[in-house]
Amino acid sequence: MSAATTTPTPQKLRTRKPLTVGAVAKNLGALVLAVVFVFPVYWMFSSSLKPQHEIMTKDPVFVFTPTFENYKTATGVDLFWTYVTNSLTVTIGAVLLALVVALAASFAIARLRFKGRKGIVLIVMMAQMAPWEVMVIAMYMISRENDLLNSIPMLTLIYFVMVLPFTIWTLRGFIAAVPVELEEAAQIDGCTRGQAFRKVIFPLLAPGLMSTSLFGFITAWNEFAMILMLNKEKESQTLTLWLTQFQTAFGSDWGATMAASTLFALPVLIVFLFLQRKAVGGMTAGAVKG
Amino acid sequence: MTVDSQGTATAGPQDAPGRAAGKSQTPPPSSGPKEVLQPPRGRRSLPSGVLPYLLVAPALLSMAVLLLYPLIRNVILSFQQLNRKEFITRETVWTGFDNYTELLGDGDFWTVVVRSVVFTAVNVALIMAIGTAIGLLLNRLGKKMRLVLSLALMFAWAMPIVASVTVFRWLFDEQFGVVNWLMRTLGFSGYDQHNWFETGFSTLVIVLILLVWGSVPFVALNMYAGLTTIGSELYEAAKMDGASGWRTFWAVVFPNLKSFFMITTFLEIIWIFKAFAQVYAMNLGGPDRGSETLPVFAYIEGVGQFHYGVAAAISILTIVMLIAVMSFYFRLILKEEEEL
Amino acid sequence: MKRKLIAAIGVAGMMVSIAACGSDSGSDKGKDGGKAAGGDKTLTVWVMDGSAPDAWMAEVNKAFEAKHPGVKVKVEKQIWNGIQEKVTTALSEDTPPDVLELGNTQTAGYAVTGGLADLSGDKATLGYDAWNKGMVASNELDGKLYSAPWYAANRVVVYDKAAFKKAGVTPPKTRAEWIDGLKKLKASDPKSQAIYLPGQSWYVLAGLIWDEGSDLAVKDGDKWKGNLSSPEAVSAMNFYKELASYSTAPKDKDEATPQQSTDIIPKGGVASWIGLGWEAGGAIDAMKKAGKTADFGYFPIPGKTADKPGSVFLGGSNLAIAERSKNKDLAKEWLALAAGKEFMTKYATATEGALLPNTDSAQFKPAAGSFAEAMAASSASGKVTPVTPGWANVETAPNPIKDYMTKVLKGEDAKKAGEAADKVINERINQQ
Repeated sequence: MSAATTTPTPQKLRTRKPLTVGAVAKNLGALVLAVVFVFPVYWMFSSSLKPQHEIMTKDPVFVFTPTFENYKTATGVDLFWTYVTNSLTVTIGAVLLALVVALAASFAIARLRFKGRKGIVLIVMMAQMAPWEVMVIAMYMISRENDLLNSIPMLTLIYFVMVLPFTIWTLRGFIAAVPVELEEAAQIDGCTRGQAFRKVIFPLLAPGLMSTSLFGFITAWNEFAMILMLNKEKESQTLTLWLTQFQTAFGSDWGATMAASTLFALPVLIVFLFLQRKAVGGMTAGAVKG
Repeated sequence: MTVDSQGTATAGPQDAPGRAAGKSQTPPPSSGPKEVLQPPRGRRSLPSGVLPYLLVAPALLSMAVLLLYPLIRNVILSFQQLNRKEFITRETVWTGFDNYTELLGDGDFWTVVVRSVVFTAVNVALIMAIGTAIGLLLNRLGKKMRLVLSLALMFAWAMPIVASVTVFRWLFDEQFGVVNWLMRTLGFSGYDQHNWFETGFSTLVIVLILLVWGSVPFVALNMYAGLTTIGSELYEAAKMDGASGWRTFWAVVFPNLKSFFMITTFLEIIWIFKAFAQVYAMNLGGPDRGSETLPVFAYIEGVGQFHYGVAAAISILTIVMLIAVMSFYFRLILKEEEEL
Repeated sequence: MKRKLIAAIGVAGMMVSIAACGSDSGSDKGKDGGKAAGGDKTLTVWVMDGSAPDAWMAEVNKAFEAKHPGVKVKVEKQIWNGIQEKVTTALSEDTPPDVLELGNTQTAGYAVTGGLADLSGDKATLGYDAWNKGMVASNELDGKLYSAPWYAANRVVVYDKAAFKKAGVTPPKTRAEWIDGLKKLKASDPKSQAIYLPGQSWYVLAGLIWDEGSDLAVKDGDKWKGNLSSPEAVSAMNFYKELASYSTAPKDKDEATPQQSTDIIPKGGVASWIGLGWEAGGAIDAMKKAGKTADFGYFPIPGKTADKPGSVFLGGSNLAIAERSKNKDLAKEWLALAAGKEFMTKYATATEGALLPNTDSAQFKPAAGSFAEAMAASSASGKVTPVTPGWANVETAPNPIKDYMTKVLKGEDAKKAGEAADKVINERINQQ
């Protein structure tokens, strides 16, 4: 459709286009795919509205009277709002920190020529392979020695470094995509190098910044292994641990687990929908120009 | 769904190099957010002085402190016997290369390594093939249908892992699974209590479905976004040449999005190879340890048995393997870097 | 050192703002709580979720705080998921919880690490002599006492009275009668399960092995070795297989996945099952919520002969004190109070006999026909898993006993599967 740019208006296009077998297959396929992808999500959501005895049944229950009991259970736990605050603090803190630090680094890598540049690119690439899950023990011992257990700032910093390599990588591609002539033009107009960056490059980076924030947000928001090991005090825990607390040895409250999961997914979804247009484009623009 | 796509998955990578090379004369796309006559890429070689070092210093420093240092500590731990006792008493017991020799001489370890590599390869191939196909489909859909499908993909992406693993376990549950119900309803016999986790292989297939389901949205949505940056005139040109859809893909889409494919594949390999929660939570690495991948093995042998030294050694070996596998990628990407 | 480096990164401003957000809840609690200025002390107690009724716990702490002005008891409920890692790391820290609840099969594993305080000198104040002898074993290692028993429980057979009546079956006293009854149940209602017995209920198997006069693992010199390939274990496993043939439960799952009490039994179609007190309670609750009424009867797991009920695993918890605790004396006093006769009597009453208290004389007199009555009847044949530090390693996933059971139920020879499992047990049990 996008290829048919010669057609003057969409209306005409539609009327002119016969309902071909291909078009039907295309839309049908898309519909089936949408169902396949959304079904587990739907199942999570519908389970969160079911009473316990209708969640696991021999024949699945599709029609039921929704109950909000599970949401009450999920949000009614002690310290719920502390978890929310902690999760938001570490996630947003880590993402912002990563953006600032990565912006500087990726500008240098993409725009400046200096000795060791290639080595830094290699380091950033390798850093993405860091096995964080198995480094938990080492990280635990370091935190224990430095009295940094149960510390929200420490957790923020760890998440920051977790998302940093990807952020540098993506932003670097994005900065490289900004024509150098624009910058030059600005400098000819009397801008300093810093001003040129602020006034010319930075605005063009908005999509890239957004896409990397989204990725960082998902990573930090979902992190589990570190927090489980490092922050034993309930006051310093986050929502990821809250998610699992409805599964106990005395039977799992599946309804509450699913209600909690639904609530847990909401911020990601909101951030996603909010950033969606620009973010998705940004991610690729970064990658494509990589 | 998976069965159908398998064909494309295996066909894709095999065909890729030859065709892409043959068509490399395709005109470069006019990329970049602004229209410029000259190729927009390029870096001016400025006498930059200390500025670049100042700019990269914060990033390097923080990675040194919070990534390199723990990693070094991890290497040190891998030369120790660090069981529960040493851990609690904070004793240091050096055992040299014992953890490594024990692992490398363990047949189970190598079984798990091979399994992990094959599992990752199949998984990533499927993810890339299906993701690309859906990305292409998104590009050709009408506005409404495109919104429906991308929303569905986004929902799948946003679902927390804890929830998605639980839901997948339910869907394939022996007694109350929706899948068994579906098979019964469709009239298949033998699905009254079919056990989808009967063998390690069948368990891994379910994990694979979960991972593909969870990873495809990232590839598909980015693929679609990438496609929108390709000018429509390129398609037009290809069409006028009478190229088929298949050929258009290899002649126009692939060369233009080569970096995208390279980096996405790179990331997916890392993510899938390191996937732990999905594999472990599905069936605890069972039955009879048949669905253990490397991270699960590390967890069970190391953390589960309180052999933290062994766990550290496994993680180091994992990194070494990843770097070996990825060195090909590093070279490719660094080469691109030079051309930049 | 780290702090300096962080400052050097040049993001100090960022740090401050983050720290400000976090400090309103975190900074002055926990870490310094035990030795805060002004003489006020906090005693931190870790108990597992579901172990202690809230009202009982509050009463204990009120009594304790009345005796020790300026001391506050902070109870933190823990979930079982991932508890071993959590306890291990906590014991390695400078300010661990002062008192912790430990599963009785895992206590020896912690005792050997030096992470638990030696309580051998406090036997008199803790009331050692009055403790239930069956429950004491798991608290001791190499002649030293590392914890106080708290409570224990064992499994009984829970049955649906209506189904038994319809089939004309009465609670059996011997294994032969048991199988006979299952046959009748199956004949009377072929669509139902005469018994729900998933393939990996390994505590049930342990009881059957003990009935044969053997054990899961035996001591051989100063080493332990797995014993699942022994003739006794083979015949126990074969009896398990016979029982399981009356069930359509998954062969590769235990009773908790899916949770039999809340996810299986309330749906109906099960005439009997083997469970603990809280499971029976959970099933009754879940049925109530689904608009059904439970009519359960209970009987001890039948033994080989009518004079003695079958052996059962005496699962339970102990209370220990961390070696690094800054408040050891206070912790000991709290322990003596909570696990002493007065409060254990209250505990037994509060749990209505569903859990056995550590002292026989504190026992609650169970009502006739109750779960507690059936449980008390078989608790005399209660046993624990081998008391050795390495046992905790055997139990952790993937549990070789579970894999062994699944294999046999799927048709593999019990001796052969037992040999494979023994190999894994041998590897794990002798490690600390």
